[in-house]
Amino acid sequence: MTRTTSWKRTWTACAAAAALFVAGGARAQEIKVGGIFDLTGITSDVGKPYAQGVQDAVQLLNEKGGINGKKIRLIAVDYGYKIPEAVSAYKRLVTDEQVVMIQGWGTGDTLALKDFVNKDKIPYFSASFAGDLTDPSKTPYNFFVAPSYSDQMRAWLSWVKADWKDKSRAPKVAFFYGDNAYGRAPIEAGRRFCKETGIDLVDEEVVPGNFQDATSQLLNMKQKAAEYAYINVTTTGVSLILRDAKKLGLATKFGSNPYGFSEALPAVAKDVAEGVTGVVPHVPYGENVPGMKTLLDFNQKNHPNETRNAMYVRGWSYVQVWAEVLRRADKAGQLTGEGVKKAAETLKDFDVGGLTNPVSYTPTDHRPMTKTPIYQIKAGKLVKIAEFDMPRKAEWLGL
Amino acid sequence: MRCGDFKRTYAEDMAIFETRFARGLLWAFLVFLATVPLFATSYWLDILNRTLIAVIAAMGLNILTGFTGQISLGNAAFLAVGAYTTAFLAGRMGLPFPVVIPLAGVVTALVGMVFGIPSLRLKGLYLAVATLAAHFVIEFTVVHWEKVTGGVNGISVPAAKLGALELAGDRQIYWLALPLAALLLLFARNLFRTRIGKAFVAIRDQDISAEVMGVNVFTHKLLAFGVSSFYVGVAGALLAYQARIISPENFPITVAIDQLGMIIIGGLGSVLGSIMGAMFVTLLPELLRLATGALSHSTPALLGLFAPLKTGLFGLAIVLFLVFEPDGMAARWRKVRNYWKLYPFSY
Repeated sequence: MTRTTSWKRTWTACAAAAALFVAGGARAQEIKVGGIFDLTGITSDVGKPYAQGVQDAVQLLNEKGGINGKKIRLIAVDYGYKIPEAVSAYKRLVTDEQVVMIQGWGTGDTLALKDFVNKDKIPYFSASFAGDLTDPSKTPYNFFVAPSYSDQMRAWLSWVKADWKDKSRAPKVAFFYGDNAYGRAPIEAGRRFCKETGIDLVDEEVVPGNFQDATSQLLNMKQKAAEYAYINVTTTGVSLILRDAKKLGLATKFGSNPYGFSEALPAVAKDVAEGVTGVVPHVPYGENVPGMKTLLDFNQKNHPNETRNAMYVRGWSYVQVWAEVLRRADKAGQLTGEGVKKAAETLKDFDVGGLTNPVSYTPTDHRPMTKTPIYQIKAGKLVKIAEFDMPRKAEWLGL
Repeated sequence: MRCGDFKRTYAEDMAIFETRFARGLLWAFLVFLATVPLFATSYWLDILNRTLIAVIAAMGLNILTGFTGQISLGNAAFLAVGAYTTAFLAGRMGLPFPVVIPLAGVVTALVGMVFGIPSLRLKGLYLAVATLAAHFVIEFTVVHWEKVTGGVNGISVPAAKLGALELAGDRQIYWLALPLAALLLLFARNLFRTRIGKAFVAIRDQDISAEVMGVNVFTHKLLAFGVSSFYVGVAGALLAYQARIISPENFPITVAIDQLGMIIIGGLGSVLGSIMGAMFVTLLPELLRLATGALSHSTPALLGLFAPLKTGLFGLAIVLFLVFEPDGMAARWRKVRNYWKLYPFSY
C-alpha cells in the first residue's frame, strides 16, 4: 500500500465519522428541552425509572405529532447527583444548546441552580419537591408537579394523628433523614407542624448520604421509644432501614417520603415492608385511572418485558404537564423562557388523567397541588388508605 | 538545531528556559491562551476554568507528594477550606479578590500545616490515612458549622470584585485564573532551584540522609505541607469564585483521589506533569461526553454508561501509565521531544 492510499483511507474514515456526528445534528422545527437526570449516582434507584418515564413520554408525544407540529428534542445528561456536574451541564444546556426549559432532578442541584435559573429565565421543572421552590417571589422560574415535601410530611403527620388511638397522650414521632439538602428539605416544616398539632417529636436521626447500615441510628431511636418514624431518603435507604429495624425488633410504624416508597419497596424489602405507609403523589403503575391506559399501551408495544413503578409514572406525568405548558406558550407565540413561565402560570386544575392530582400554578404561588394521598403496603401491594388536603397557608409558602 | 549541552555560566546551567526560542515560544503560547475567551463558548470556558483550577491544585499536591514524598489524601478538604474561606471573606466581609485569594491560601496553608504534623512520625500509607482523617474532620466541620458555611445547603459566593471591577462569568474568571496559574507554576518551578526546594527533594529521596546532611526534616515537611496547601487554597478560592455556590457535595473524597491520579498520570515531581495530568483528567469526561452525547441520540441506553465509562477509563489510564510509563506523561513528552530534538541522531 502506498503512502497516498493509506492517507486517503484515513481521511475517508475521518469524514465518515464526522458525517455520523453531523447526521445527528440537522433538525427541522423542534423545541429543545434540557434533561438533567441521575442515572448512576446515589439517587439512581429512583432516578433511572423517572428518566425512563420522561424519555418514553417524550417519545410518545413526538410520535403523536409533538407540540403543535414541533417535535421535542430532549437533551438528556446524567450528572450522577454531583452538584458541580449539574452546574456544568446547566451551563452547556443553556448557552450551547439554548434550551427553552429544563427538566431537572435533585434538591441539592436545583437549589444550587436557582439563582442561575432566575437570572437566565429558564423554567426549571425539578423532580425535587422542596418547599423552598414554591415561592415565586424568591424562585419565580422553579416548578414541580407534586405537593411539596413539607406538605407531604404534614399530610403524613396528619395521618399519624388520625391513626393514633390513645387519646391520653400525644404520639411519639421520629424523623430519619439523609445528611444532604434533599434529606433536610422538609424537616423544619415537620418540626413546626408537630408543635402546632400536638405531636411529640422525640428523635431526629441523620444518616450519611450513601449508607449501608442504620443500626446505630435505630438503636438511638429505640431508646426514645418512637411509635412512628418518617424516613426521608430514597427507596434503597428505606429498605435498609426497615431491614435493620426488623433485626432490632422495633415496633415503630415507618412512613416514607415519595422517593422512598413505590412498588420497588415491597419488591426489594419483601415482608419487612408490610404495613409501611408512604406518601404517593403519583399513582403506582397500573392503577385504575384514565391516564394509565396510554402508559400501559406504550409499554406493551415498546417495552413489554420491563417492570415499571410509580417513579416511571412520575416522570411521565411531568412530561404531560410541561408539554401542555409548551403547547400554551407556543400557541401564544412565546416560546421563550419568560413565555413558558407565564404559560405555566395559566394552568388551573389541569387534569393529568388521574396520574396525579390536578395541577395549578399562579404568579404568586407555585404549589401545584395540596392533596397528598397516603398509601400502605398490604400483602406486597400498594393500597390507598387516606388523602389529606393541606390548607394553602401563606406562612407555609417557601417553607 | 541545538545539539548537546554547552553551558558557560552557573546562571545558564540553572536556567529554566534554556534558549530564547523556548522563552519566546512560551510567551506566544500564553498570549494565545489569553485570547481563547474571545472565541470560546461559555461551556468550554467553564471547562478551561475548571482545568486551570485543577492545574493549580495538582501543582500543590505535586509539591507535597511528587517533590517531597509525603502522600496526602486531604486535598479535597484543603480545597474546601480555601473555598469556604473565600465565601466567608468575600461574602460576609466583602473584601476584594486580591486580598481574599492570598488570605484564603494562607488560611489553608495553616490548616494544612496542622494536618501535616503527623508527618513527623508517619510515612507512606500511614500518612495517607492520617491525611484522610483531615478530609473527614474538615468535611464534618463544614457540614455542621452552619453559621459560617451554611451547612449542607451550601453558601453562595459573590462575584470577585475589586472596587468597581466585577468578575462575573467564566470569561472574566479565566483572565484571573490564567495569569495566576502561570505565576504559581513559575514559582513552583523556581522553588525547586532554591535551597528549600532541594531540601524537599532530599527528603523525598532519603529523609534519613537528609537529616544527617543537616536538613531540618520536620520543619521542611511542615513547610511542604504549608506551600502545597497554599496552592490548593488558592485553587479553592478560584473554585468558589467560579462556581458561585459551594456546598459540601463539591468536595467528596473522589476529588482527592482524582488529583492523586492527575499527578500520577502527569508525572510525580514535575511541573509539566501537573499541567498535563490535570488537563488529561479534567478533559477526559468532556471528551467522553462528546462521544456518548453524539451517539446517545441513536442509543439512549449509552447515557447510563457514561459515568461508569468515565471511572473505568480513569482507572485504566492510571494502571497503564504506572505499568508503561511510571514517570507519567511528562516523562513520555520529554522522551518524544528529545527524540525529535536529536533526529535523526537519536542515540
